[in-house]
Amino acid sequence: MMLDDDIELIDGLPIAFIRSLKSIVISDPHLGYEGVMAKQGVLIPKVNLREMAESLAKAIKLTKAEKIIVDGDIKNEFSKVDQEEFNELYDFIEFAKNNGMELVLVKGNHDNFVERYKEPFKLKVYAQEALIGKYLFFHGEEFPARAAECSMLIMGHEHPAISVYNDIGRKEKLRCFLLGSYMGKPLLVMPAMNYFAGGTEINIEPRDKLLSPVLKAADVDGMRAIAIGFGSTMDFGTIANLRRAAHR
Amino acid sequence: MIEYAGEPFSDVESLGSLNRYVSGWFSRNFDELTPPQKYAFKLISDNRNVLITAPTGSGKTISAFLSIISKLFDYSLQGKLENRVYCIYISPLRALNNDVYRNLLQPLDSVYAAIKKEKGTEIIKQNIRNVTIGIRTGDTTQQERHAQLVKPPNILVTTPESLAIMLNSPKFVENLKSVGYVIVDEIHELANNKRGVHLSLSLERLAEIIGRDFVRIGMGATLYPMEEAAKFLVGFKGDDPRDCTIVDASWSKKLDIKALSPVKDMINTDDSDIEDAMYGELNNVIKKSKTTLIFTNTRSGTERVVFNLKHRFNYGEDIAAHHGSLSRESRLEVEELLKKGSLKCAVSSTSLELGIDIGAIDNVVQLGSPKSVTRSVQRIGRSGHSFKSTARGEVIVLNRDDLVECSIMLDAMLKHHLDSFLVPKNALDVLAQHIVGMSFTKKWPVDEAYALVRNAYAYHSLPRSDFISLINYLSGAYVGLESRHVYGKIWYDDKEGTFGKRGKYTKVIYMLNLGTIPDEVSVNVFLTGTNRWIGNIEEEFLSRMKPGDIFTLGGRLYRFEYAKGMKCYVADAKTSSPTIPPWFSEQLPLSFELATEIGAFRRDFASLVGAHIKSNKVTRITKMARMPKKIDAYLSMLPVDSKSKSAIYGYFLEQLLFAGVVPNDKLILVEQVDYSGGQDLRYIVFHSLFGRRVNDALSRLFAIELREMMDTDIGVMVNDNGFVLSMPKDGRLTARNLDAMIKDLTNGDMTSMLRLNIRNTELMKRRFRHVAARSFMVLKNYKGWKISAGRQQVSAQLLLKAAESIDPNFPIIKETYREIFEDVMDMPRTNEVLSNIKSGAIRCKLINTAVPSPFAHLMITFGQADAILMKERHEYLKHLHNLVMKRING
Repeated sequence: MMLDDDIELIDGLPIAFIRSLKSIVISDPHLGYEGVMAKQGVLIPKVNLREMAESLAKAIKLTKAEKIIVDGDIKNEFSKVDQEEFNELYDFIEFAKNNGMELVLVKGNHDNFVERYKEPFKLKVYAQEALIGKYLFFHGEEFPARAAECSMLIMGHEHPAISVYNDIGRKEKLRCFLLGSYMGKPLLVMPAMNYFAGGTEINIEPRDKLLSPVLKAADVDGMRAIAIGFGSTMDFGTIANLRRAAHR
Repeated sequence: MIEYAGEPFSDVESLGSLNRYVSGWFSRNFDELTPPQKYAFKLISDNRNVLITAPTGSGKTISAFLSIISKLFDYSLQGKLENRVYCIYISPLRALNNDVYRNLLQPLDSVYAAIKKEKGTEIIKQNIRNVTIGIRTGDTTQQERHAQLVKPPNILVTTPESLAIMLNSPKFVENLKSVGYVIVDEIHELANNKRGVHLSLSLERLAEIIGRDFVRIGMGATLYPMEEAAKFLVGFKGDDPRDCTIVDASWSKKLDIKALSPVKDMINTDDSDIEDAMYGELNNVIKKSKTTLIFTNTRSGTERVVFNLKHRFNYGEDIAAHHGSLSRESRLEVEELLKKGSLKCAVSSTSLELGIDIGAIDNVVQLGSPKSVTRSVQRIGRSGHSFKSTARGEVIVLNRDDLVECSIMLDAMLKHHLDSFLVPKNALDVLAQHIVGMSFTKKWPVDEAYALVRNAYAYHSLPRSDFISLINYLSGAYVGLESRHVYGKIWYDDKEGTFGKRGKYTKVIYMLNLGTIPDEVSVNVFLTGTNRWIGNIEEEFLSRMKPGDIFTLGGRLYRFEYAKGMKCYVADAKTSSPTIPPWFSEQLPLSFELATEIGAFRRDFASLVGAHIKSNKVTRITKMARMPKKIDAYLSMLPVDSKSKSAIYGYFLEQLLFAGVVPNDKLILVEQVDYSGGQDLRYIVFHSLFGRRVNDALSRLFAIELREMMDTDIGVMVNDNGFVLSMPKDGRLTARNLDAMIKDLTNGDMTSMLRLNIRNTELMKRRFRHVAARSFMVLKNYKGWKISAGRQQVSAQLLLKAAESIDPNFPIIKETYREIFEDVMDMPRTNEVLSNIKSGAIRCKLINTAVPSPFAHLMITFGQADAILMKERHEYLKHLHNLVMKRING
């Protein structure tokens, strides 16, 4: 669906496409997640990268994009680059190259040490935030510094989702984009790309329990949730309404 | 061949088969042989595999051990008794191990003293030693273990888990190579679950290590079919089952049992009066006997009963509680007090069901149905001092369904009708543990390992392809080579067809994660804002709540706000009643056999009451009406008191006057109810009396059909006496709809239909977590970290998603479905019921009611009957009942 005349949300996927930048935007892929979990005793088979590559390939074909912007947390471990992560990071970079994509990384809280690979792989890495065109990309674990200079803010970090209850009271949890405003600018919060990310139930949890300081400060209840699920993307209205619906 | 023992051996023959010092000890201490001993002494002396079932007090332990002790003293007298293990005794309970250890010390010392007295100093010259005994469980200290390695006991008392660990210790295994006897106690607690399956593989591995067969002796309370238990015990040797003789002394005690209803009318009596009556009844029973054992089914029930008895009747320290949440010390103390005979009454949830030595019990009281005839026999068998005394027991019922159920259950008990158990077959998670264990001992040719596994009865029909896919999984074949050192537990060379151990951590992982009992997840509940901890709820309960729901916890009402991970946040609720009923996950399920017997009784008795209504033109229920003679005579055939008779009669009369029909074993009544207690839902009550495991499957099948037909989500509540489907109020089921649903259900592959629809259920998630943990895919313990059950749960959900996308037949997923279809549900019997519906042997009849019929009341209020929670439910029940009575009496 079209968000405005420049931004398209790819149907059924946690992916946005910005025409003026010829760029696909994703956030929070947390590559290497399974390998890191396995080292903690949970042997999750590796599917995240494969699924992500499939989704991206679909989006690339659909949009003819030239660039992939990753809005933070490309990998999972905080402190170091794990061997398992390195392998997946490498495969992902290969994937981008093979598809003729330029790769732009905005650093998130999980992305320490990524810089080490900046040179060998010729990656474009932004430390805090990136003003590209009229958009300010930042991860969201800190407040944006140059909000005044852009016409729209785009962040990740929160892994937003909503929970809706069906006729017989069963819960259905859906990943979503959030569209609202912050500091007088429109704000788009990206859903997590990671296959395993459950997400924060924005319409259930109290605002002060949210992850991002930006969302704690913003009018979350006034934001619209655009949910992804069952192969499509749909506007579910404001969080305030969804909160009421859940408390019915 | 599996065969039943014929005539008992003569005492001369039995005692003659024993070493004279041992038979001397027996004669000095006992006047006569008990029923099982009349078979066991001789059979075990002849090195025969035996399965012995008998109630408490029938000298079971001695019957299994005496011939072995005799043989060991033979060795000793020949100077050939070495520091090696000759006999392994395995029980599922450490407390029982301690008992057996203590109880054997006396005969061993006594026999040795007799020998010493006769032989004097010769015992040193001839190297005649006493037979030694030792315990090895999770409680055994490192020093004791080391001592056992240096000087192993002749008789080793252990648990299934400790045995499995020993098998992987190359040094200790050397001491086991002389084992000639293995005793498996409490076999009824093992043969029907994965813990037992795990043990059965350990036994086959032991046989392989020793390089020959040993004598296998199984003991337990009654269970049916005994042949299954015998096969479980002895297993196969290649294609042929090993021999076993069954000694069934289950019924050697006389039974004196009765169902008691606390009041005549369980509906129109105030709940405080019912409670008074119940405790009054309980107190009468306690006063009548020297020592009474009470079973309550739940832990909270146990606490409540102890509190009330003390409070109401001034009991003091002579009443005590015993359940799994109490500390080990306090449980041991209660057991000791019971043994000494200084308790008037012990109250237990289920924990005293097992054969721990608790001394003389006169009487066993059960509050509410134990749900299975076999379990009831086991519990009541705890009473009676010796095999000659009578086992006495009462069931005090909690509601009208409970009453009918318990009456029929006790009747079945007197007729020796037992419900059957099932050995779980081809459980892949348990097998995964053993394959990893086996990899430590040597490099295995796959075919040799497969042949060994098939010797266990539980795996005799295991397809080779399943075995190979498990080996593949364990070798980490589902990830790339570069990650296999993290994922793989074994190496596998598929060209050469061999596998073996991998990595230095694997053994530690194995030791720390071995076992089949899953960690349970409990969700911590906090008060929002204050972050004060209030208590725990089960995760399945949490998954049913939506924000705003009111529920009870620890006797107070709370409103659910939100949950994050394994934390749940609530606020104090200002209202007076909960919006969702309490929830218990692990209720004991009603067995198929008992359910069908209840169904047959309903059919019989309803036709009798129906005839009475017709011939006497009964249209109203009057309090003063006396019970017709014929009906009284019929009910008098059941082991029930007179209040129970009135209550049963009233129950059936109401149902017939209101609905005109009583559901039974050949009639599934489908009742569509208008009334829903203010909810925007329509309830459809299926009165299907086939036990919980069949109802579990049937309910989901009907729900799938209804969902397709109505194009809406369907709520399901499963109950022992049927199931309730709910849908939005604007929908309505017609007779034609029902016919179409049934037609669909009786023409197709129900298992695959269920499989598709079970994926997103809580049941699937929960069972998958258990299976993933047993298969070492989600570790409980890793490199010194204890991984919380909550974390395991979150991870397991991701795991399920990932595993599915790799291969829907991934062994862990396959096992989860197997467990659900074979252990949780009963598909063979579900299919049997469906084919009976198809042939017309079972009919389905749709009726529409404005308010639920009396037989639906307890299903609508669902949840299990529990002494604790009677109050709220009783209010609601009474309300429903008043609605019915208004319609009958106008």
